[in-house]
Amino acid sequence: MTDQLSWRQYICRVCGLVYDEKLGDPDSGLAPGTRFEDIPDDWYCPVCHVTKADFEPYELKVASSEPMARIASVGATGVVIVGSGVAGWSVAQAVRRTDVSIPITMVTGCNGDVYHKPELSVALSRDLSPERIRKEEGPAAAARLGVNLVCETQAMGLSTQQKQLRTTRGTLNYSHLVLAFGAKPALPKVLSGEHCWRVNDLQAWSGLYEQLREGPKRIAIVGAGMVGCEIAEDAARAGHDVILLDRTPYPLADLLPPPAAMRVGRALQGAGVLFLGGVQVQGIAGEGSQKRIQLAGRRPLDVDIVISATGLTTPPRLLKGAGIAFDNGIVVSPRTLETSAKDVYALGDCISLGGRPCRFIEPIGHHARAIASRIAGGSSEADYDIANVAIRLKTKSIALSLRGMPHPKGEWKLIRENDAELAMVQLMGSVVTSHLNAA
Amino acid sequence: MLTTAKRLNDQANPIRDLRTRSEIMEEVQSIASGPLRKIVRKIDQEGHYPLEIIADLGRAGALGAHLSVGGRRLGLAIEAMQAVSRVCGSTGFLMWAHDVCGIYLERSGKPALVEGLLPDHVSGRSFGGTALSNPMKAFSGIEKMALRADRVEGGYHVSGSLPWVSHIGRGQYCGAIATASGTDGSEPREIMFLLRLDDTVDLRTCPHFSGMEGTSTWGIGLEKYFVADDHVIADPAKPLIGRIRNEFILLQAGMALGVIEGSIDSIRDVEPSLGHVNQYLHNRPHELQAEFEDLRSRILTLAETPSESDLDYTLGVLDARAQSAELALKASQSALLHQGARGYLMSSAPQRRIREAHFVAIVTPAIKHLRWEMARLSREVYPS
Repeated sequence: MTDQLSWRQYICRVCGLVYDEKLGDPDSGLAPGTRFEDIPDDWYCPVCHVTKADFEPYELKVASSEPMARIASVGATGVVIVGSGVAGWSVAQAVRRTDVSIPITMVTGCNGDVYHKPELSVALSRDLSPERIRKEEGPAAAARLGVNLVCETQAMGLSTQQKQLRTTRGTLNYSHLVLAFGAKPALPKVLSGEHCWRVNDLQAWSGLYEQLREGPKRIAIVGAGMVGCEIAEDAARAGHDVILLDRTPYPLADLLPPPAAMRVGRALQGAGVLFLGGVQVQGIAGEGSQKRIQLAGRRPLDVDIVISATGLTTPPRLLKGAGIAFDNGIVVSPRTLETSAKDVYALGDCISLGGRPCRFIEPIGHHARAIASRIAGGSSEADYDIANVAIRLKTKSIALSLRGMPHPKGEWKLIRENDAELAMVQLMGSVVTSHLNAA
Repeated sequence: MLTTAKRLNDQANPIRDLRTRSEIMEEVQSIASGPLRKIVRKIDQEGHYPLEIIADLGRAGALGAHLSVGGRRLGLAIEAMQAVSRVCGSTGFLMWAHDVCGIYLERSGKPALVEGLLPDHVSGRSFGGTALSNPMKAFSGIEKMALRADRVEGGYHVSGSLPWVSHIGRGQYCGAIATASGTDGSEPREIMFLLRLDDTVDLRTCPHFSGMEGTSTWGIGLEKYFVADDHVIADPAKPLIGRIRNEFILLQAGMALGVIEGSIDSIRDVEPSLGHVNQYLHNRPHELQAEFEDLRSRILTLAETPSESDLDYTLGVLDARAQSAELALKASQSALLHQGARGYLMSSAPQRRIREAHFVAIVTPAIKHLRWEMARLSREVYPS
């Protein structure tokens, strides 16, 4: 009896015919109950004629993450949004607010969950789990807004003449396309993805979180830009041993004038972050759970976890293939968010204004509303002056804020400096273009 | 030291001293619209294997344009395949199989293959195809390797079986890949070799296919088949496959473009008599034509730089190949709808092209494999 309970099945790799030991193959002389190993070698598949050697044990191979919604094969038009971050969901909401019936399809490489990305830089010290960061699950948000959510799907190609977006789950026709796919961490060649975390989306952050919750770790963060500084302080506050590395002598040295950058450095040190400036990372090797960072002219550094925060870049492939203007990001009109292609809009981290990437949360709401208005046939424009954008470093040890987009080569003037406060302005000619305050 | 390709060029060039694009295309067009058109039905209905046409194409210089000996004109090879597939998809497929086999021979660097076989191959005096469907899928993690090689004196013993290999027959050959078990102490790896279909190879009749008859498709059974060292194309195989994979896939677009163009031809054929009702159909000829032109120009641009290896280029190739299969399905379906009952006759081109388009969509890499691979290559890698 035990035997009969364990009848096995074998599948022909070529045509998919399943040989079931229980049923045998009476047509070719195999009685019911013939074990696979007892089948003669000259037996052949009754359908496609290959031999026994081409059969393998039949295991169910189900899709690991079949998306809920599928891509309709013909004639599905409407608004197609690529990306499900803050920018993608903001546009979905704005479009739905102006038009209750227009079809909206959202294509996203992840699961579409709604969360506020800036929180990822401060979540460790607040002990926020991925579940608490997630505001709403993708399918729930999609149902609420009447969005056809196509998740775990990559946009592969774009034909603006035919108004078609090609994806890894098929081709979509659109009446209006909104590109909101963000930017990707620019991982330098010397840092390999398998050894190095990047914190740019909730799915990746969740993996890092899993490793960090095991207990205090030695963490090296490569790159002391805004995200690097924020995560360094956050991880140190959460009890980890943090070293922050950069090729420049101070943190944020590419953005801030030296007095401000030095102040940030002192504040981070006070929060328990060890800053190591002027270093060149040459490579990382992994040995078990240990990582060894090779530094030029220095002893290697042994840590448990490496996080790269070396900046973001917008992948140009989709745009270049479609002939859409691209200059450090998708070129858009600052008022209408139109790209160089008809009925194609873009917003969020993937765009650039005046050749500079525009990676700020603040304008996104304005931009989403302008796009929704245009799609609805209206003429509202984004009433937002990017030159006046406010930037705040999300650290507790120092309150640093900037207004305006400082130019890396612009000249800074000191207004006030004492133990409690630092105030500076950047001038282009005689015009003040940025204000900086640190306290 | 002269490279092998240079040496070949210095000898009597087998493909007539690099004929110009227009010379080659003119001759290909006349073969396609002349002798090939006459036997399309015989190929499709009676399974005639049109080796005489492949030989003509070889003499015309159409089977080596993509190779170094042919001036490395991948775009021209695709255009020639398109012109042939516009008339007969099966013959276009044979051309593809023959073309990629030429790549294997040339890139092997083995005198026995480069000097001994390639000149006859490119000029259509000998014939051979490719048995890489299984390893291509295996390298993407879709299925397991089917052939196994064990080291023996002077070469390997290869055993295992492959279900469907086209453009082969007794006395012909194909490129194949086997897992070298490493039992001799070497690293486990894959080796690529030229499989000569001699008497030691079991050739099994395949079941009757929906389309693509006349492609001489057989099942292959190997039992300790001996591969001599001078017939090993690449050891290990993976680096070579990595270098030629984009070309392998991009060349297939030639088949798809021909099926699409032929479908548009069939739609236009009936426009004078049926245009008044056909106006109500989806995918009208001008729409298909616009999409076709857009796709074709993208493919020919990709074909200008076949040695590029960055990820964006590879994704561009996979995307173009996937779109070409989707458009072949759409255009062939539309052609039948436009022709109506006359397109449904067994003698008509539209019903044959639907079966050809299905083949373009399922031959390795099939649409689903292409999407799987694009998704795999797009995935970010994180620490585990």
